[in-house]
Amino acid sequence: MSAPAIPLTRWAQGQLDALAAMAPGAALPEAGALLAERAMLHGLTVPGDVSCRGGCRFHRTRDGWVALNLARPGDRELLPALFHTDAPVDLASGFAPLDEAEAVARGRLLGMAIAGLCERPASPALATSAQGPNRPAPHRPPRVLDLSALWAGPLASRLLRLCGGEVVRVESRGREDRLRDTDPRHFHRLAEDKRSVALDLRTAAGRARLAQLIAQADIVIEAARPRALRQLGFDADACVHAQPGLVWLTITGHGIAGEAANWVGFGDDTSVAGGLSARLHAETGEIGFVGDAIADPLTGIFAARAALEHYRTGHGARLIVAMSGLVGEAVARDPHLSQDLTAWNARRGHPVLAPEAVPC
Amino acid sequence: MKPGTRLKSATCDTEVMVIRAGQGTIECGGAPMAEDKQSAGEPAADHAQGTLIGKRYVDAEATFELLCVKPGKGSLAVDGTPLVTKDAKPLPASD
Repeated sequence: MSAPAIPLTRWAQGQLDALAAMAPGAALPEAGALLAERAMLHGLTVPGDVSCRGGCRFHRTRDGWVALNLARPGDRELLPALFHTDAPVDLASGFAPLDEAEAVARGRLLGMAIAGLCERPASPALATSAQGPNRPAPHRPPRVLDLSALWAGPLASRLLRLCGGEVVRVESRGREDRLRDTDPRHFHRLAEDKRSVALDLRTAAGRARLAQLIAQADIVIEAARPRALRQLGFDADACVHAQPGLVWLTITGHGIAGEAANWVGFGDDTSVAGGLSARLHAETGEIGFVGDAIADPLTGIFAARAALEHYRTGHGARLIVAMSGLVGEAVARDPHLSQDLTAWNARRGHPVLAPEAVPC
Repeated sequence: MKPGTRLKSATCDTEVMVIRAGQGTIECGGAPMAEDKQSAGEPAADHAQGTLIGKRYVDAEATFELLCVKPGKGSLAVDGTPLVTKDAKPLPASD
């Protein structure tokens, strides 16, 4: 058998198999196709120290490496504050005198998506912050309310849709899913067969409608930072306590405990924070990214499995998925990772392939 | 004031990181902020709207921009003029 194109595909397939076992008859994609989904849409190549889409880059620090994701407009305005200087400074000379841990701490304080090569995940893959009242185990597919954007959350709800769930996607006016404009093909693939409702959460009417939608849902998926929901007047733990059987899935970069609750994380930087690039370095001596924003599809798959598993028991809970912690768990558990990383590194600059396209 | 300077409120728990600054005194709760913790009692009543962690605060000319890294009860101002959150829209004149 040929090696999977992207490392951790086998771990992800294990999660998908567990999901499929709960939804007999569901036609789920293969893990390899999901991990390579965006790469296949755009013909991306195996990256080195610049991520597949170019948004995240490794930079050398005095004692190590950081990966900085300048994914959002406005991130560059923070660079003078990051480097504590008035003068224009390029990233290489800005990071060179800093310690890895210091640069990461400073970047996170500024709300940047940054990770250190040597760091350990701040939170476990999955935690439960609230347990709700139980109800009898339901025997119908779940009603899913998806408040998330980008890749991980929408993939989780897409998989739940493929498992028979009804999915309503909330589009937040004034805070639209930027994927629709930046990558319409990927957006439409993730949104396939879901209903959508546009709400303006800045208005009382919009927030009241959201409260109604939550009350009708079996599974809520969101990926907002905790303070964003609180500032809108929504308390996820309180919803779980009030609504029997509700499974509330919170997707985060680094968990919700302590300072990590405020850290931002995207698919490439959280894969570094989870230790995947450190492992690549240990195996090959090279600095680089593994997969294409790999924490996103891994999280989508894992989150769908965890949410459906809980829903089927009838036990309400708020589940906190931490992308960096999840990558850390996958890295620790995938027995084929060493050989897959070596194969991945050998294909630098070549197209990322889905498994069926890998020549035997 | 250099970008990246961290300032503490003298009247509450607020801490900010300077993203951008011009000429003027950065205040919280009606009292100047400083790199070292000072104590000037409670925030003045007309400067007590509170700060929200993670929000960026700007003046009308966008000369000043501060990132709140620790929230508190006071509100931010430069030379007495309140700063507003960067994404805040002006309120309508009437309902």
